[in-house]
Parts: sequence; structure tokens; C-alpha cells
Amino acid sequence: MSDGLVQILEGNTFVVSDERGDIEASPTDSTGLFSFDTRFLSRWVLTVNGQRLNALSTDDLQYFQARFFLVPGTGTVYVDAKLSVIRLREVADGFHEEIRVLNHENAPVDLKIRIDAASDFADLFEVKDALAKKGQYQARAEGGSLVLAYRRETFGRQTWISSSEPATIDEKGLSFGITVPAHGEWMTELNVVAAGEAPADSTAGLAGPAGHGHRHRVRRDMARGLAKWIGRAPELRCDWEPLERIYRRCLTDLAALRFSTLTMPDRALPAAGLPWFMTIFGRDSIFTSLQTLPFCSELASTTLRALAERQGTRIDDFRDEDPGRIMHEVRYGELTAFEERPHSPYYGSADATPLFVVLLDEYELWTGDTRLVRDLEQAARAALNWIDEYADLQGNGYVAYQRRNATTGLENQCWKDSWESISYRNGDLPGFPRATCELQGYAYDAKVRAARLARVVWKDPVFAARLEEEAADLKRRFNRDFWVADGGYFAVALDADGRQVDSLASNVGHLLWSGIADKSKARSIAAHLLGPRLFSGWGVRTLAEGEARYNPIGYHVGAVWPFDNSFIAWGLRRYGFREEAACIADGILGAAEVFDGRLPEAFGGYARSVTRYPVRYPTACSPQAWSTGAPLLLLRVALGLEPSGDNLMVDPALPERFGRLELLDVPGRWKRVDALGRGRVDTSRLLRR
Amino acid sequence: MPVVHAAGSRPGRPDAADPVGEFFTALGRQRHVATFERESATLRFDIADGERVRRWLVIVDNGTVAVSHRNGRADAVVRMRRADAEAIVTGRINAQAAMLRGLIACQGSVGALTMFQRCLPGPPDSTGRVAPITSEQVMAERRPR
Repeated sequence: MSDGLVQILEGNTFVVSDERGDIEASPTDSTGLFSFDTRFLSRWVLTVNGQRLNALSTDDLQYFQARFFLVPGTGTVYVDAKLSVIRLREVADGFHEEIRVLNHENAPVDLKIRIDAASDFADLFEVKDALAKKGQYQARAEGGSLVLAYRRETFGRQTWISSSEPATIDEKGLSFGITVPAHGEWMTELNVVAAGEAPADSTAGLAGPAGHGHRHRVRRDMARGLAKWIGRAPELRCDWEPLERIYRRCLTDLAALRFSTLTMPDRALPAAGLPWFMTIFGRDSIFTSLQTLPFCSELASTTLRALAERQGTRIDDFRDEDPGRIMHEVRYGELTAFEERPHSPYYGSADATPLFVVLLDEYELWTGDTRLVRDLEQAARAALNWIDEYADLQGNGYVAYQRRNATTGLENQCWKDSWESISYRNGDLPGFPRATCELQGYAYDAKVRAARLARVVWKDPVFAARLEEEAADLKRRFNRDFWVADGGYFAVALDADGRQVDSLASNVGHLLWSGIADKSKARSIAAHLLGPRLFSGWGVRTLAEGEARYNPIGYHVGAVWPFDNSFIAWGLRRYGFREEAACIADGILGAAEVFDGRLPEAFGGYARSVTRYPVRYPTACSPQAWSTGAPLLLLRVALGLEPSGDNLMVDPALPERFGRLELLDVPGRWKRVDALGRGRVDTSRLLRR
Repeated sequence: MPVVHAAGSRPGRPDAADPVGEFFTALGRQRHVATFERESATLRFDIADGERVRRWLVIVDNGTVAVSHRNGRADAVVRMRRADAEAIVTGRINAQAAMLRGLIACQGSVGALTMFQRCLPGPPDSTGRVAPITSEQVMAERRPR
């Protein structure tokens, strides 16, 4: 793995170690065993006779499993080792580690094996911001285990460490005095459990993170689970062989990104990113669910249910919560527990609420699962009500955002959430509230789609007619108020005074996806998206070249986001721009080939002809859920897959180099259907850029 | 611990200065709670007040709510101290945070408790309003380009 770190995970439990398998975290360093947003081990160091080990090789066997081949010594000068050590580690409610010591000599050898263990019980937010702890630590030996404990008032977290072989336990670790026979081996298993704690002085216990009852839970057969997951997805065959590898990588990464909530332990939704964002994010989970619907609709149904469970019901300024609002992010660590951070959950997102309704409709179109649509009728109505009653902060009928939590809330509550992402042409930043253009598109689409659901499932034609009227009115006003006439595109936002924030950004692509753009304006938008200012040759830049804040390696001001591009391609297809959509599919999937099948969150917006290869934007999270979903959505777009009643329409517009493409057994309300296509679109002119 | 009912504490006749009683009584009076539409679950709240435990049984049946002091089978048994319960039902402590902090213990269905949280009020000082910020103010807060 890059930067010499090895990470394995299952759900929201993950281990980040060095390539020897050791953990030596500092307060701001990000290695350790983490579970429910808390670090349960900050030190985990293996020595043999007081000596550190050196890695010969390290394998990430599966996303939840790693193996380390080690020998004693510093590794600066390699001498034939008389001894080797193999660590096999697997994540499950903490982790399980097998340590094997192999003696290569023709005589027995006496050794002292030692594991140093400690925990700072840092909250993930503390690791990011280097904050001091407020509680007390304790370490003790108890019933054959080393127990590391942390307590702040009624908040308790513990790490239990035990071994299969007898050990001498002290407060700083476990020691084994052993004799390994000639050419023989010695093995112990270590079990590390991340647990909550029932405080003795209250009637309360911890209902959240793994209680003691989980400690002896049998480890699941995760390898078999992964094979089953991949086996359920459609089968892909393509003359362009890299696409098969990209597809397999996406399915495996999606499996790793599956996350179960405490309320639905048997169902999975896509978490946002591995490892730091292994939690529910409204926006990321919805976008990923939309991308993956043709391949595994279970992610969408779990996402919808989980978000409805946590839908806002009250006014809470600290959490930016309103009735009907769909949550942004949920966290389980100490700072959230003590309300020093608002993530219980935090609601500061202006797009997740309309997108929730969009996903509900798209899910029904694919699966025909009207039961879920009926179960979530109230949630969908509350979401639609939020759009009209709580999101119109400018009083002009547009969805806008402004945080009420000015210290720990989010400034930009759209997907481009960095501070400078929304700017005028001259680089000035608008005030708040801000109404970004794509939010209006999502709101329009939510109303149109909810009208269909109201007619077909909820049997409320009056509500349907009202929604359609509102949608038509919104579309008419939007095409008038956001259109930048001298540029031929839609403004990225309206500012607090209702003035256009007039820069050209990738957001206009989402307006095609949602259908809010007038047909007469779509050709000009498509020309911009594939034009020299926005299109790099690999994909559409977040901000157009020529804008004051444009920077090809600026996060939301020039970098290319694969997720963004997948929705832009969907939008182009929706307005009939088949070749343009194929170009974006070709560019982004070409980048995926360079990145070995795993697309980063973003890559540089440099022109393709300048750098030859896409330049990765440095980020801590990989894989990222919506980057993982991007190739899947691009496949759908290129094959032209569209549900139509109980049939799946297939209308391929594939880049030439794909040759023949087969996607077999696409699941949906039609049971299983094969989608076939042949590459006929010449994309070379645009990709040469 | 013995289960004791304070005089006059049955639903419909709240005690003075008893926010918990008032909350549950008001909930029972609503009968139909929109946010519980199509939801069904039974929760028992055991609220410890010194040596006494006061019990509230909340039955949600497809959005219709019935509140009593009865003992009965529950999907979730939720225990907390009276002071914490008062802070939660008046919006001064967030219930999810309280659970993470160890102030609330939930046995059984966490999903039922997650659902129930939807009927709790927000913080008393939350207004839902915030003064607009001008472009000049935003620019002044940021370093010059």
C-alpha cells in the first residue's frame, strides 16, 4: 500500500499499521485500531528478545485480512535469519492476530516474545485536530486479559487483550517465555476486543458500541461472504480487458465499503470512504446507491431506510436540524457523546433531502418494490415539505443553505463543501445564504419523481398535480434567474441578494441529470461540458479554466471528480447527447485503468496532452464510495440502461475501443436481463485534448 | 427495585414540575404521531428517581400511540436517571449523545429507540434562524488570494 501503511477493516472497525504490523501512534498520527470512531489501540509493537522485527513482505489478502512476514533485525544489512515470524491479522469486533515463530536452526531456541499494548482512546476528531483528553486512563490484568480502560464521567471504553498461549501480563503488554524446538514452530492467537463499558455507578450501560456480549461472537466467514457478494452481481465481459478488471475491483471495494448500522445489523449500506469515513453520510450513501442500483439494489433500500430512521423532526441549531431534513453525517465517538461535535447526527447538507426522494423513485423504477415506497411515504412527504418550508432561506422559492452552527457546522452544504468552492468569476466569495444551482435541479427532480410515486403508489392524484405544478414553476423561474446570458450557461449559485454567482462550474452537468434545464439551453451546456474550459481530456473539471480561482489541483476548483463525471454523463444521455456521454465514460474509465481499477476521489484537472497520465489528488481515503460507484454508473450510461415498466431498455452508445461489451443477468423487476453492445462511438477527437 | 407510582401520576393528570410526566402525558394525548406513521414498536422506560423507579410503557401501533404505567413486554427497555430523563424530554440533552455517553441504557431493539427519538424536542434555545452574512464579511474572514 502507498505510504507504507497497511489498513484492513470490517464495518467501522479498522486497523492501520506499519508494514511490520506494528502500531506506534502519536496523538495526531493516524495509525491504530479504530472502532465506532474511537481509537482502541495506539500502541501494538511486537519484539523478539527485545528486538524489533523487519518486514520481508506484507500481503493485504482481503480487505479484512493482512499477513506480515518478518525477521529479527533492523533490515539495513540483511543476514540470513535463523528465525522468522508470521503475523496473520483479521478484523472482527476488534481484531484477531495469529503470531507464528519459526525456528530455522538445528537446535531448540529460548525466546522472549513481547507485545507492547496501549491506547489513548482518541476520538477520530481528536486525531484530526490534536485535542487533549478529559478523562482518566487505567490498565489492569483481569481474568487472563490485559484490560485498557478509559473513563470520562459515564462514558467508558475498554480494550480487552487475551492470548491462547499462557502469557505474563503487565500493564504495558503481554510476554511469552518460550522454547521453540529445532526446525519447529510456536504459535499463539491474540484477541483484541473493542468494547463499551457499563458504568458501575449508574443504572445505565452502553447500548452502542460492542458490549461484552459480542466478545465471544464467532468470526464470520467473511471470505465466503465476499465471493457470494460478487456472485450476485451481473457478469461483465468486454473485448477491452481492463474494463473487466475495473469492474471486479469496484465490486470488491464496494463489499469493503458495506456498513451495517446498529438498528439494521443484517443489512448493508455504502459508507462514504475507507477508512476515515466508514459511517453513514446522507449525500455519499445516496449518490453511491444511485450509481449501484443496476448492480446491487440492496444498498439503496438500506440507505433509504437508515436515512428515514434518522430524518430530522425538530429545530436544533447546533445540529443544523429541521423537520424533514435528511442527515449529513453520524459519528459515535467521545466528542459527539459530550455534544462537543454535532454528529448525533449532524444535518448540515442541503442536497441529501431532495436526493432522498430522487433515490426512492429510482429505486422503485428498478426494483418495483412498492412496499418500501409505501413505508417511506411519510418520510418522503416530510422531505418535500422541508424543501418548501425550511430550505427557502432567501425567500425566493429556491433551496439555499446557511449553517446555524457557526463553530463546528459546515459552511458549504453542497457536495463541493470546501470553503472556496463557490465563487464569482473574479474569485470573490458570495455571502450566505447561498442557493447553488444543482440544488434547484435536485429539488425539481424530487418533485417530478414524487408526483409519479404519489400517482402510482400513494394514490394521491391531488398531491401529484400540486407537485407537478410546483416543479414546472420552479423550472420556469430557474431557467430565467440562473441563466448567464453572456456565457451560455447556468450560474453556479444565487447569492444572498439574489444576484448570480457567475462562474462556470461542473454543477451545470447535474442540471442535465435532474432535467431542470430547458431543452433549448442544453446544447450550449453540453458544448461547455465537453469544451476546452471544462473538459480536460480525462473528464470534466470542477471549475472552468479561466475562472479566477481555477487551479488544476484545487479540490473543488479545478480537479476532476469521477463521481461528478458519472452523473454528468447520465445527464448528457438524458438530453440525448450520446457521443458526449460516451466520451466522458471513455475518459474516466481510461483513468481508472491507469489507477489500477481504483479511481481516486479526485485527480488533477491538467489537460491530458500535458501530463499524459492523470495526476492523483492526495487524499486520505481510498477507496471512496462514490468513486467506486462511478465506473458502474458509467457502464449503465454507456449501455443506455433504462427501466421502462417491467422491461429494461438497452440502447448502447459505447466508445469504439470497448469492442463488444456484455453485461449479463442485470437484476430488476424484469428478474434478470442481458445487456449487450458494440463500441461504435469515435471518442478520439475529444480525448486527444 | 420497587416500582412506585407517584400520586396523581397516571396519564392525563401530570404533576407540577414533572417534565417527564408532562412529556409522556402529552405524547399519549396526541394519539396519532405523524413521524411514527407505519411504525409499530413497544418501549418501556424505567426512570430511576433515587430508590424509586417510575415506569412508562409506550405502545406505537402504526403511528397511533398509547402511553401507560403498565408492565408489559417491550421491544426495547430503556433505563435512565430522572435528572437525565428531564434533560432529554426538554431538549437540553440530545438522546443519541446521551446513549453514547452511557446516560441511557437500551436493552432490546436499538431501532425502536432510534424511532422514538424522533418525537423528542430540540434544544429550548434553538430558533431556526440566523442572520445573513455578506460577501464582504466572508472575504474579510479569508486570507487574501
